[in-house]
Amino acid sequence: MSERINIKGMWWKGLGVVLFLYVIVGGMMIPLKPGILSIQPGNAVNGDTVKLEVTGYNTHFLSGGDLRTWLKLDSSHFIQAFQIQATGETMCKATFAIPSSMASYTGVQPLTLILDNEVDGYSIQPNAIFLAINDSLSTGEGWDSSIDEPLHAMGQIRFPYRNILHETIRNTFFHIALWFAMFLLLLAGLWHAVMYLRQGLPQQDIQSAAYHKVAILFGLLGIATGSVWAKFTWNTFWTTDVKLNMTAVAMLIYLAYLILRNTIADEDKRARVSAGYSIFAFIALIPLVFVIPRLTDSLHPGNGGNPALGGEDLDNTLRLFFYPSILALTLLGNWMATLLIRYEKIREKMFYHS
Amino acid sequence: MKYHSKFRKFASLTGAFLAICPSLMAQQTDFLRSTGKIYSVVAVIAIVFIGIAFFLYRLDYKLTKLENQIKNEQ
Amino acid sequence: MQFTNIQSILQKELAIEFRQKFAVGGVFLFSATVVFLLYKTFNNISPREWVLLLWIIMLFTGLQAVVKSFLQEKQETWMYYYSLFDATSLLVAKLLYNLLFLIIVFLFTVLCLAIFSGFPVRDITLFSVGSGMGLLGLSVIFTFVSVMAASERASSILMSVLSLPLTLPVLLLLIKVTTVSTGLLADTAVYDDVVLLAGINSILLGSTFLLFPYVWRS
Repeated sequence: MSERINIKGMWWKGLGVVLFLYVIVGGMMIPLKPGILSIQPGNAVNGDTVKLEVTGYNTHFLSGGDLRTWLKLDSSHFIQAFQIQATGETMCKATFAIPSSMASYTGVQPLTLILDNEVDGYSIQPNAIFLAINDSLSTGEGWDSSIDEPLHAMGQIRFPYRNILHETIRNTFFHIALWFAMFLLLLAGLWHAVMYLRQGLPQQDIQSAAYHKVAILFGLLGIATGSVWAKFTWNTFWTTDVKLNMTAVAMLIYLAYLILRNTIADEDKRARVSAGYSIFAFIALIPLVFVIPRLTDSLHPGNGGNPALGGEDLDNTLRLFFYPSILALTLLGNWMATLLIRYEKIREKMFYHS
Repeated sequence: MKYHSKFRKFASLTGAFLAICPSLMAQQTDFLRSTGKIYSVVAVIAIVFIGIAFFLYRLDYKLTKLENQIKNEQ
Repeated sequence: MQFTNIQSILQKELAIEFRQKFAVGGVFLFSATVVFLLYKTFNNISPREWVLLLWIIMLFTGLQAVVKSFLQEKQETWMYYYSLFDATSLLVAKLLYNLLFLIIVFLFTVLCLAIFSGFPVRDITLFSVGSGMGLLGLSVIFTFVSVMAASERASSILMSVLSLPLTLPVLLLLIKVTTVSTGLLADTAVYDDVVLLAGINSILLGSTFLLFPYVWRS
C-alpha cells in the first residue's frame, strides 16, 4: 500500500465542509438582537394613564444602564414614559400618560413602542398597543414632536430580531440556502442534459441524471424543512401559500423524471428522452416558480409588495452566513453528485465487461 | 447476509423512532417553542443531516451490491 | 416544413379517426357519462364545480385522445414517416390534429354541461380566449410527452405519469381564468393571467419545436 491515494478535488470538498461548519457554528452561536416579546395590556383609551408591562428578549433592563421608552403615534407625535421600573433583565413596567388631544386622528390607532438603553441599543415594536380615540381635541397638545435625546445603537454583531420568527430567523441559512443550492444543481443537470443532446456522450447523461437526483433530494429536504419552519411560525405544516404549492408541483414533475428513467430499458433512448424531458420540465417550471407566486399574495418575502431578499429581510449580518451557506450546500451537493457519477461509471464499465 | 442484518437494524430503529414520534411531538411542541423557538432550527438542521445520511446509505447499498457482483465474477 | 406534408398527415389522421368511430365515440361517451353522473350526484352544480368539472373532463379525455393518436402508430409506421417527412412538419400536423380534437371535445363537453346544469359563464370573450390558450397549452404538453412515451412498454401509464404534473401549471391558471369568467371571482388583473398563459404556451411551443427532433429519432 505504498501508493498514495488522493481524493479527487480535495480542496473544494474541504471548502464545502469548512464553510458548512462555519455556517452551523456561527449561525447558531451569534445571539439575536434584543427585542420586545410582549406588551400588556394591548389597548388603551386616549386621556388614560396606562401602565405597560413589557417583556423583552435578550435584553438587559437592569444592568443595561439608563432605560428609556417612548410611544410613537407618527413621525411627529411621541410621548415618553414618565415612570419606568425594571423588575428583571427582561421585564419592566412603563407608565405613560396618554394625552387626550389626538391631532387629526380618529377611530382606533396603533402605537409603536420604542425602548432604548446603553447596552442593548434601541428596539422597536410596531402595533404595540391599540388606542381607541374618544372625542379628542385636534390641537395635538401633550405630544412631543420628536425624541430629543439620541438613541443608542447596538455595536455588536447580532442577527436581527423579528417578531414571529424569533430564533427561527437562523433557518434562513438552512432552508432558503437549500433552495438556492437546489436551483444551482438543477442548472448543472440542465447544462449536462443540453450537452448530451448536442454531443451525445453517455457520460453526459450520467452526469445530468446525478445532478438531477441530488437536486430532487435537496428539493424534498427543502419542503420538509420548510414545513417544520412553517409549523413554528405560521402554526401549520402545510399552508395554501402559492410558493409552497408551486414547489410541490415542481417536485412532482421531477419525481416523474425519476419514474421516466426507471421505465425505459434501452439506454440510448432513456438518455435522449430523459434529457428532453428534463429540459422541457425546466422550461415549464420557469413561469411557475418565478411568475405565478407574484400574481397572488404569499406569506413569503418577495410577494404582495414585500421586498424580496434585500431590504430589511436580509441584513448584512445574515448575509455573512447566508451566501457562504449557499456555496457550502452547493459544494456538498456537487460532491454527492460526483460520487453518484463515479458509481454509475464503474457500474457501466462492469456492465460492458461482463 | 451481513448487509441484510444491517438493513434490519436500520429498519427497526427507524420504526421505533417513527413509533415514538407522535408522542414526542405532542409532548414537545411546547419545548420546541421555548427559548425563541431555537429548537425548530435544530430540527431543520437535523432534517438536512438525515437527508444527507439517507443519500449516503443508498449509495453504500448500491456500492455493496456492486462489490458483491465483482466478488462473484472473480 | 411543407404545408402539403402537414395537410396529408392531418388528412390521414382524420380519415383514421372517422374509420375508427368507436374510439371517438368512447371519448364523447366518457365526457357525457361523467357530466351526467355528476349532475345526478350534485343535482345542482355550482359555477366553481362546473369549471373544475369541465377541466378535469378535458384533462382525461385529452390524455386519452392524444395517447391514441401517437401510440397507435407502429414502429414501422414511424420508420415510414421518418423517411418521408421532416420532424417539424410531422410535429405541426400532430399538434394541429390534437388541438382540433381537444377543441371539438371541449365544445361537446361545454354543450353537455350547459344542457344538464346551465351555462354560468358571464364573460364569453374571456372564457373563450382563456380556454383557447389553455387547450393549446394542453395539446402542446400532451403531444410532446406522447412523443417521448411512444414505442415504449406501458406507454399509456408513462404518458399519464409524465404529462399530468406538467399540465398542472397550465390547469391552475386556466381554472382561475375560467372561474373569473363565471363572475364568481372578481379580478381586474385577469388579463395578466391570460397573457401569462400565452407566454407559457409560447415557451412550451418553442421548446417542443427545439427538442422534438432530438427526442423523436428512435
